[in-house]
Amino acid sequence: MKFLANAGFDLGRMLIQALGIVVIVFLLARVVPGDVVDLKAIEGDLSASQQQEMRTELGLDQPLIVQFGQWSWRALHGDFGDSIRFGRPVGGMVRTALPVTLVFAGLSFVLALVLAIGIAVGAVMTGSRVLRSLVEIVNIWSIALPTFCIGVVGILIFSVWLHWLPVVGSMLLPILIIGIDGAGQIVKPLYEELREAATSTHVRTAHAKGLSPWRITVRHLLPTAVPVALALSGLVLAGLIAGTLTMEVLFGLPGLGSLMLNAIQGRDYPVIQAAILVTAIGLVVVNALTDLLHRMIDPRLSR
Amino acid sequence: MTLVMPARTDGKARTRFSVRAFLPAAILVFMVAVALAAPWIAPFDPLDQDLLALNQPPGPEHWLGTDHIGRDVFSRLVMGARTTLLVGLGGAFAAFVFGAGFGLVALSLGRVSEAILFGAIDLVRAMPGVLLALLLIVALGEGVGPVTIALGISFAPFFAYVARAIYHREAAKDYVTAAQLFGGDPLHVLRVHLAPNLIGGLVTQAAILLPRCIVTESVLSFLGLGSSPDAPTWGRMVAEASRYIELAPHAILAPVLAIVLLTLSLSFFGDNVRRTLDPLREEAGS
Repeated sequence: MKFLANAGFDLGRMLIQALGIVVIVFLLARVVPGDVVDLKAIEGDLSASQQQEMRTELGLDQPLIVQFGQWSWRALHGDFGDSIRFGRPVGGMVRTALPVTLVFAGLSFVLALVLAIGIAVGAVMTGSRVLRSLVEIVNIWSIALPTFCIGVVGILIFSVWLHWLPVVGSMLLPILIIGIDGAGQIVKPLYEELREAATSTHVRTAHAKGLSPWRITVRHLLPTAVPVALALSGLVLAGLIAGTLTMEVLFGLPGLGSLMLNAIQGRDYPVIQAAILVTAIGLVVVNALTDLLHRMIDPRLSR
Repeated sequence: MTLVMPARTDGKARTRFSVRAFLPAAILVFMVAVALAAPWIAPFDPLDQDLLALNQPPGPEHWLGTDHIGRDVFSRLVMGARTTLLVGLGGAFAAFVFGAGFGLVALSLGRVSEAILFGAIDLVRAMPGVLLALLLIVALGEGVGPVTIALGISFAPFFAYVARAIYHREAAKDYVTAAQLFGGDPLHVLRVHLAPNLIGGLVTQAAILLPRCIVTESVLSFLGLGSSPDAPTWGRMVAEASRYIELAPHAILAPVLAIVLLTLSLSFFGDNVRRTLDPLREEAGS
């Protein structure tokens, strides 16, 4: 029962956050000077009455709150209007770009968690110097080295000099880069948490019983590591956004990030709004899901 | 538990020389100096195009070579240090002012203002930093000023959260209660009694966030949103040269190394500041 109440609370918070994002993104198009009609008027010369007609048609003469209602209702149904630059429906453009980003971000996310858990558990279990310094190195790596810098150097080494990978379109290198970067965001706190867990009495008992280190890792350390990693995964997700943007641009992947940046450079507001909205809402949903998963795995949270 | 403190015979024992502490600080001082003296160091105008010398490798005339439209890479690197540092440091400072400033004032004015401010911050935090910065840049326009403000707003929540954590820790202490019982008004108590005890934690947070701020600045300018095209930044240099990576790898490696050197130094520097100002946490952590 308590679990359901907490899950309901999570859901409520998620909805409020989502609403906040929708409001912010909606307001974006209002603070920018000039609306769609002004932009169209610059290209083809519309008379004042035509402009007025167009505004009425698009509902731009309605009160802000009504416009907001209409806009978010349509957005909810995947209708973000037409792209100013290309005249195509924005919804379709987003639907084409979304799978690329989902695959890329999803694989990077999984790689980040696997790497972080692997390194942290390995460092705690074996206590090896190499793995412990790896924790530090990966941590500093992700704080101090911007992913785009690693990306360019990676292209230079693996594509230009060694000819192992194509310069454009390959997902392997960017996934590796973002995976390591994401692992670095969480590996240190994860390691510290695990080291504490490893000194706890139940692990000592397991040692004393003569269980093999492998078995102790699987039975006693991993169950500690996974919830902690999940709790920290919000950090990975936040880093994933910047990473997806830069990697998509750098490696020419036709995903949501490329779409967003092209739109920003071309002042294509409906596309900017749609891309930012979909990304932010997606993030809120994934965050809520990991929270939920975390609650299911770790019953202490629902007490 | 008894602590045996080693007797300190002279003042020198404290300022022991260590490469770990010295090198990052030295690199940072050097970079700031270069940024300040940039116009006198740069041998060429960073915007001058020499169309007869495109993508030239490093040589005696152009020390770090030229880029795809014949601009001197060394001059752009030196002038770029200005914009990069100005926006990155300015953004961190703005975040400090927004986050710690508004945060502490709201905290000391009572529960209601705290709930309102932090409710708003939680809402904004649903958007990750870069996305929020992007949104703000779209709304405010590009250029040094808007990007600095965008960075400031995106990073302000981190300062606000730290301010709240250490404020509540400090505010529960007797000296604050005493000051409040004497009838000091909240802002007076904050300014005179609390602020001196909060500043350490906030400076530590600033030191930790500084490299992230610089990284975000360089990501934004790499994405072409950092500043106007006539003010070179390192991120923008990487972006522009990345299309000619096969012809002119030097035009990419120079700004990449500069960024990495700066952010690495800042990270180690921040770590040192944290160790110095916050020795207790270090002990608890290890």
